[in-house]
Amino acid sequence: MINVKNLSHDFVMGKRGQQSTLPVLRNISFEVNKGEIVALAGRSGSGKSTLLNLISGFIRTTQGEIWVNDTKVTDLTESEFADFRLQHIGFIFQNFQLIPSMTAYQNVELPLILNGESASVRKKRTEETLQKVGLLEYRDHYPSELSGGQQQRTSIARSLILNPPLILADEPTGSLDSETEQELLQFILQLNKELGITFLIITHDDEVARIGNRTVHIADGSLTQGGTI
Amino acid sequence: MKFKDQFRFVRQNMKKNKVRVFMTVLATAIGCAFLIVLASVGFGLQQSIVKDMLEQRAVTQIDIYGKEEDKGSFSQIKNEDVDYFESIDNVKAVTRRQRLNQEPVYKIGDYNTGASTYVAYFPAEMKAGLELSAGRLPEKANEIVVGYNFVESLYSTTAPPNDIRDESGNIKEEYKYNDDLVGKNIDMKVTQLKEGKEESSTITLQIVGITKKPTREWARDQTVFISESVMKEIEAFTGTPRGMVKPPNDDIQMPEQDPNAYDEVKIYANNLEAVDGIINQLDLNDYASYSVVSEMKQINTVFTIAKSGLIFIGTIALLIASIGIYNTMTMAVTERAPDIGIMKAIGANPRVIKRIFLLESSYIGLIGALIGTVVAYLISIAVNIAIPFIIESAFGEELPETLQFSAIPLSLVLIAVGICLVVTILSGLRPARKATKMDVLKAMRREI
Repeated sequence: MINVKNLSHDFVMGKRGQQSTLPVLRNISFEVNKGEIVALAGRSGSGKSTLLNLISGFIRTTQGEIWVNDTKVTDLTESEFADFRLQHIGFIFQNFQLIPSMTAYQNVELPLILNGESASVRKKRTEETLQKVGLLEYRDHYPSELSGGQQQRTSIARSLILNPPLILADEPTGSLDSETEQELLQFILQLNKELGITFLIITHDDEVARIGNRTVHIADGSLTQGGTI
Repeated sequence: MKFKDQFRFVRQNMKKNKVRVFMTVLATAIGCAFLIVLASVGFGLQQSIVKDMLEQRAVTQIDIYGKEEDKGSFSQIKNEDVDYFESIDNVKAVTRRQRLNQEPVYKIGDYNTGASTYVAYFPAEMKAGLELSAGRLPEKANEIVVGYNFVESLYSTTAPPNDIRDESGNIKEEYKYNDDLVGKNIDMKVTQLKEGKEESSTITLQIVGITKKPTREWARDQTVFISESVMKEIEAFTGTPRGMVKPPNDDIQMPEQDPNAYDEVKIYANNLEAVDGIINQLDLNDYASYSVVSEMKQINTVFTIAKSGLIFIGTIALLIASIGIYNTMTMAVTERAPDIGIMKAIGANPRVIKRIFLLESSYIGLIGALIGTVVAYLISIAVNIAIPFIIESAFGEELPETLQFSAIPLSLVLIAVGICLVVTILSGLRPARKATKMDVLKAMRREI
């Protein structure tokens, strides 16, 4: 599902003319197989979020290759990558990233709108998905009217709505209490089991890392365990 | 993403900051109204002048003044010229008249008047649209047709010369001729100076027809149409072509007059579109002509330049309003940066983001243009009512009824709305591009 080959990335710092480069990732290679749950673990500043952002296409690099679902995403233009993300990748963010002026229903429906689905299809799929995450009765609530767990479930529902084969989760439990965290982890396992969705989860929490089939460790921009060095 | 959904997004976004959007729409509406009202003055005056011209002359009529022989010298129109005119495509009729070069006195019973007198070729006159309101066309040499208003010019011979007309210049009721004209005999008295003394000759004619009332309210037709043989009889008496009265002094030379030439020749085209082609042909063959259409063309050219200038000045107002739109859109992009970031993260194509913002700026422009158009119409109506009133009150001058200060044709509305849309889309372009180029991570971290 994901194949990262010899990926390196530097951050450019400073003003124009006085720039310096800071290496963040160095020659990283690893694979995530279809149907797997892989945890990408490491301490703060280890480069795990940068790696996820590169796979997502939020930042671009010229060194190395990234393949997602048999597509060399490093060759895609920004516009092509946007379309690819919509069709193939779901996202779960640490701070949920819901649009505050939209209700839970509207947030979940958004990918369907971007995909140009008809109103009837949108209604059916959004209600089904909200039902699946147990939030149908909160459909008209705005994010500010939902608890952290409910907001994260809304975020998960939005990531699931177009049935992507891959979900990238960036510290999905970072903003949740331990009870809600357990519920969410169980839900991820359920989705993986029932729908065969591949998960790449970034975490520094061992509890979260444990639900994965395997864990890839990253330190100082290099893989230390679970990948190919 | 479907257009309908993009539009829904735009409306939702606009509702979030109603006051700011309202102020921007207001600025656009004022700019648009200013543009329309300014240009409407050009349109209004042009419309008034053209309308005035069309009311005074038949649009398909071409007056022929002569044929240029040498540079600056013109010969009168003769039969061979008339034959040529009739051979031109789309010519409906060629009327030709010879004018009696004096105004004879017509006397019917105790009533008399003076009137312009012509010899006309009636088949061409009828083809050109001459109609009779009573009687028939002349068949004999002494039969004549008189204009519809001829009767109104007859006054009693018993009336004191200083008391014939009322304040408005019309003949007083008590001196008016109140009988039928058709079938009546009328005496035509022509004069000539012979050896310094005025001599006159009276020819008795019979009125057989009266022309139809002129279609234009203000027009008066008091013409008398005599036959060619009566003209010849007059010429025999006066000894001059067309009955011209000799000058009292022999030192003054009489102008040359070709007895076979026509004094008034008019070509009537089949339709307005054909007039240009006929005039071109006449120009090529050195005929001097005049048509209201040529004059209208020149007037339209001048007004087109004037209107373009006014529209340009009006556009400056819209450009000022566009600064407001640019500001509104830039603020909207900045405020919505996190939402844009989220949308881009989950797969919104940058083109869609750009389109949403451009749609928003053009929607503001369109609403502004529509409101501006309505306001402009109201101002235009008010101007047309108030300005003549103000001028009349302030300067005591009465303005012509046809004068219109401001007119807003559909073309002006379309031009204004078009300019408004272009200006607003251009002002929304940079903020839209900013939204497209927005860094997803920075936007989601609310760092923009």
